[in-house]
Amino acid sequence: MPSHRILCVDPDEDAREDTVEQLRTELTEFDPVFETAATLDDAKAVVSTDLAAVVTEYDLADGTGLELVTAVRDTAPDAGCILYTDAAPDAIGTDELRGTITEYVGKGSVFGTERLARLLQTTVEGKAQASYPLPQNERKRLATLQSYDLDDRALLDSLDRITDLAATHFSVDRASINIISEHSQDFLACYGGANEWDTMDRQDSICTFTIVEDDDVLAVEDVTEDPRFESRSDTLLDMGIRAYLGANLVTRSGLVIGPLCVYDDEPRSFSAADEAYLRDLATVAMDVIELHARLDDGVETDGGDL
Amino acid sequence: MSDETDGGYEFGNGVPIEPIEAGSTVLVAGPALSRAEDLVRSMVADGTETGDGMLFVSTNQSCEKLLDSCRRLQPSFDTDRAGVIDCTGQDLAESQFDLRVRSISTQSDLTGIGMRFSALYESLYADAVDGRVRTGLVSLSSLSMYVDMRALFRFVQTLSGRIDSADGLGLFSIDPTTHDTKTVNTISQVADGRIEVREPESSDADGEVRVRGLRDQPDGWQPFTLP
Repeated sequence: MPSHRILCVDPDEDAREDTVEQLRTELTEFDPVFETAATLDDAKAVVSTDLAAVVTEYDLADGTGLELVTAVRDTAPDAGCILYTDAAPDAIGTDELRGTITEYVGKGSVFGTERLARLLQTTVEGKAQASYPLPQNERKRLATLQSYDLDDRALLDSLDRITDLAATHFSVDRASINIISEHSQDFLACYGGANEWDTMDRQDSICTFTIVEDDDVLAVEDVTEDPRFESRSDTLLDMGIRAYLGANLVTRSGLVIGPLCVYDDEPRSFSAADEAYLRDLATVAMDVIELHARLDDGVETDGGDL
Repeated sequence: MSDETDGGYEFGNGVPIEPIEAGSTVLVAGPALSRAEDLVRSMVADGTETGDGMLFVSTNQSCEKLLDSCRRLQPSFDTDRAGVIDCTGQDLAESQFDLRVRSISTQSDLTGIGMRFSALYESLYADAVDGRVRTGLVSLSSLSMYVDMRALFRFVQTLSGRIDSADGLGLFSIDPTTHDTKTVNTISQVADGRIEVREPESSDADGEVRVRGLRDQPDGWQPFTLP
C-alpha cells in the first residue's frame, strides 16, 4: 500500500515539529509521510487529492483551522481532518459549516499524542470522514485492482463492445465500465455520451455505492428521489443521468473492481430480468479482464483475439 | 474485565443481549412506540455498574429530562461519569452547569456536535475504568431532518471511527419507519451490527429485540424489560 501523506499545520514551529516527531514515533508501522505548514495559505498550497489527513491548530496567522478544513474538503474530500488545538470547542464557531466534519483533540489531553496518533490512524485507514461506505475488504480490493493492466488497447476494445451491447439492450445513450480507485471513479470503457466524461471524485459517483451492494447490482430509478444521490443530483443530471443500473465486476477471489453501468436521462424502473442481463454482461467483462491478465502472466493459451 | 465477558460491554438483567465487543458501533432500530430509544439510554446507563463513562448525544430530550430518564432506568446512575450533548436548542438549567454538559443551538451544526462529542469523550475516557466509554445517540432520525443523508453518513462514520479507536461502545437509535430503506441500509453499513426493536407480543415485556451482525448473540426475537 502507498504511504500516507499527513499535513501538520501549526504557527508555533516548536509545537509543530514536536507533534510531527511524536506522531512519527507512534505511527512507525503506519508509514506516514509528514509535511508541515505554518499558515493557512502555505497549507492550502500543498493540499491535493492524495492527502490522507490534516492535523491543524485552530488559530492560524492568516485564518483558522476550520477554513483549512473547508478547503481540504473541496480538494481532498476523503481526507481526515483533525483540529489539534489549544482552543476550546465552545470558542470555535461552527454554525456555518453544516456538513463539514472534523475531529477535535485538545492539546491539553492527558494522553498527549498517543490518542491523537491512534485516532489519526483509524481515521485514515477506515476513511472515517468519507461520505460513502467502504467495502470491508477495501485494502485488498485496491491492491487487486492495481494488479491488473487496464491500459491494454485490445482489452479496452473488448470492453467497449460490451458497453455497446449493454446500451443497445437497454436502449440508452450512455453506458460504461467504471473502476473505483482509492479516491476516484475512472471510466474504463464507454458508449455514446459517456465518452465525454472525465474522472470524478469517488464521493460523487453512484458506483461507489454499487460496489458495496450485497447482491452486486444497484438500480436507481431516479437520482433526484434517492437520498444517497439527491444532494449531488444537479451534477448527475448535467451528465444525463436520471436513472441508473450497475452490476459489479467481481474477481474470482470475490473482490469488486467496479461496475458495468447503463444510464437513462429519464426516470426508469428496472426489472429482475434487466438486472440479471446486466449481471451476466458484467461477468463476461470480468472474464475478459482476467483472461487478459492471464495472457500477460504468460499462461499458455491458444492465443487469438478475445 | 473478567474472562467471561472477554472485555465486552455488559448490560442489565432485563436486556437479553450478550456483552458487545469493545470498539463496536451498533444501530438500534425501532419505531417510536417500541421503546428503542429508552433501550439505548438504559444500555448506556448500565455503564454505571462497571465504572464506564457514559456519553449521550440527545436530540429530543433536554439534558434535564435525559438525566431523569437515566435515573429511572438505572437507579444508581452516576452523573459524575456521564456527559451530555444537548441538541434540543433549549437553554441549560442552572442545576446542570456543574455536569459535563454541552449544548448546541441547532442540530444542523454537525461540526459543532462532533467537536463537543470529541472533547467530552476525551474527558470521560480519562476518568473511566480502563478508558471504557459508552455512547448513546438518540436519535439519528431527528438529526436527519436537519441535514442530508450524505452529511449524516459522514457524521456517523466519524463518531464510529472515534469509538473504534478508543475501544468504546456506540449505540445509535433510528426509527426505520420514518426513513427510506435506502437511508437505513446505508447508515447500517457504518455499524458493526444492528439491534432491531419491536413492540412486545405479551404484556409482560416492554418490547422485543433481535440482534443482527454481532457475534455470540441470541437468535430470534427476545423479550426485554426496562426498570
